[in-house]
Amino acid sequence: MIQIQHVSLWYDKTHKALDDVSESIRRGQTVVICGPSGSGKSSLLRCINGLERFQEGRVVVDGVSVRQPGTDIHKLRAEIGMVFQHFELYPHMTVMQNITLAPMRVRKMSRAVAEKKAMALLERVGIPEKASRFPEELSGGQKQRVAIARALAMEPKIMLFDEPTSALDPEMIKEVLDVMTDLAREGMTMVVVTHEMGFARGVADRIVFMSQAKIVETGTGSDFSSARKTKGPASFWNGS
Amino acid sequence: MDLDVVSDNFAFMMGGLGLTVQLAVITIVCGLMLGTLLALARLSSRVWLYWPATAYIHFFRGLPLILVIFWLYFLFPVITGKPMQAFAAAIVSFIVFEAAYFAEIIRAGIQSIPEGQSMAARASGLTGYQTVRYVILPQALRNMVPALVTQSVVIFQDTSLAYVIGLREFLRRVNLVDAREARSVELYLFAGAVYFAICSAGSLASQRLEKRRERMSLA
Amino acid sequence: MGILNYTFDWSVLWRDPYGGMLVKGILTTLQLSLLAWLIALVLGLAVGLCRVLPLRFTRLVGGAYVQVFRNTPLLVQLFFWYFAAPLLLPKPAQAWLYDNVPNYAFWAGVVALGTYTASRVAEQFRAGLMAIPRDQYRAAYATGLTTVQVYRYVIAPFALRLILPPFTTEFLTCFKNSALAMTIGVMEVTHTAYYIDSFTWHGLETTTAASAVYLCIAACITAGMAFTEKRVRIPGMIVRR
Repeated sequence: MIQIQHVSLWYDKTHKALDDVSESIRRGQTVVICGPSGSGKSSLLRCINGLERFQEGRVVVDGVSVRQPGTDIHKLRAEIGMVFQHFELYPHMTVMQNITLAPMRVRKMSRAVAEKKAMALLERVGIPEKASRFPEELSGGQKQRVAIARALAMEPKIMLFDEPTSALDPEMIKEVLDVMTDLAREGMTMVVVTHEMGFARGVADRIVFMSQAKIVETGTGSDFSSARKTKGPASFWNGS
Repeated sequence: MDLDVVSDNFAFMMGGLGLTVQLAVITIVCGLMLGTLLALARLSSRVWLYWPATAYIHFFRGLPLILVIFWLYFLFPVITGKPMQAFAAAIVSFIVFEAAYFAEIIRAGIQSIPEGQSMAARASGLTGYQTVRYVILPQALRNMVPALVTQSVVIFQDTSLAYVIGLREFLRRVNLVDAREARSVELYLFAGAVYFAICSAGSLASQRLEKRRERMSLA
Repeated sequence: MGILNYTFDWSVLWRDPYGGMLVKGILTTLQLSLLAWLIALVLGLAVGLCRVLPLRFTRLVGGAYVQVFRNTPLLVQLFFWYFAAPLLLPKPAQAWLYDNVPNYAFWAGVVALGTYTASRVAEQFRAGLMAIPRDQYRAAYATGLTTVQVYRYVIAPFALRLILPPFTTEFLTCFKNSALAMTIGVMEVTHTAYYIDSFTWHGLETTTAASAVYLCIAACITAGMAFTEKRVRIPGMIVRR
């Protein structure tokens, strides 16, 4: 489903964000990326839907090469949902408008169909009563659930999560993780950047550990919990 | 284009720059002092300090500088019975006017420091004065220096308004040369270039300071 | 001495012909600043956009524009447009200008004030765009919207609300700056106040009245914009000042 081949990304001459990263994710898998801040996790995630213009290597999503001149990147992005650390709901639109914008403008769905679908998604994330509210009137956990609904409204084949719970209060983290867990169980292909090790162990098919722009270790959830001896990640696990 | 007109009258025109700089420096120094007092009054909880300072600031920020100059020019003789000298009229109106702008910059600088800072300082046993002197002001100053430099650049440009009451500063002299030689294109481009050189140096300094401030506040 | 010697005569404010002159002056001030604002908005948004586009060339041009217009006094720019600009035209165009545009000073004032204010508008516009978090753009792009759609539906409505307050301030600055046009002979309200003094020796009354006019109009605009801001306010979001 997603092939990342020898990808390197520089922000400027001195600052390398990704250094020859390769990774492959199969359909229906949930992969968690973790590592210290500044290790390139979010950059890697953004390479998958072409939000980051990497200089070297290839990313192929569902048979389409992301940075190839002929690729319709907008069409590709419509197939990939993304959720951000700070939600990034559009503050001037209601929850409903936030969710229906892309289905109506990109998929050319009629308003009625888009809104019906949005309502169903809001039911699914548990806040149908907030449809006509503005983002600033919601709690952090509710905002993030709306953001997930917004991404799902495009019926994506892949979901990308960029530290979806890092900006949330502890009591709201669970409601967001629950939604994500359900998604993974239903067979969504997911790439998740997170520090939530409980989620990683319980849900991830694979955990990728990044440090200093490289992938330093890969394994399953149980691998990591039992392999504390290893050098790099160990200090991180123990620290958190 | 005939730049001879510039080189022939170069000394005469640049002679006016001395007066321009003098006007700007006096305005900046005195404006800052008056502005600080106004800012402190505006932050005061005493009503008899707060309201007059607020009214003063709103009043002068709502008027064009050129009108303030005229107003003072007409008002002064009414109060004193003597006509006002052009230099004094220019300086006083500049100071009175720019102080209102400085006051707002200083107030914003002081208010930009989160309340937690002063609470932390007080909690460690510092007195109110010590809190302001060692914790609040050093941070506030660093925050407002870029804006103060920018305002100083604006003041330097504003001194050209002394022209209207006949002060022979730089722009007035360029204007006089133009009246005699009728070479507007060369002369006003020259005037623009001189102001540009000085002001962009100031703007650049302001940008540098702003960048440094951002770096330090991140640390 | 002093104050005792001066008899106030407020009737210069409405006495014929001075009352009419003042009204005309006020109207000229409004015309001048509104027309200049129109230029400033169109040009300023274009220059501001140039400065954020990912193209080296437009950034350079936009940056140079802002630097040049912000780092020279408005007075010099006024003199340039009034005295120098016509000389740069070919001879027939010059002749046409002097024959057919009797109030050239007014138009020079509009252009000078407009192009100068545009540099300030451009900076505010850019600052507004920069204040929108990078991830907000990414979130919009991530759903498959095209660049035009991202700006049309997400960034522009957001930025517009952010820049409304600074734009109000810039308009008021433009309005006050219009007084400088008196130096090239435009009979706006400040000039009128000064001019009436030369017939009546009652400049104190007229300049006081002019001050009141500036403050009143500024107060009206501020109130009007505060109302507009409230109308377009995003519920739950504190209006940023």
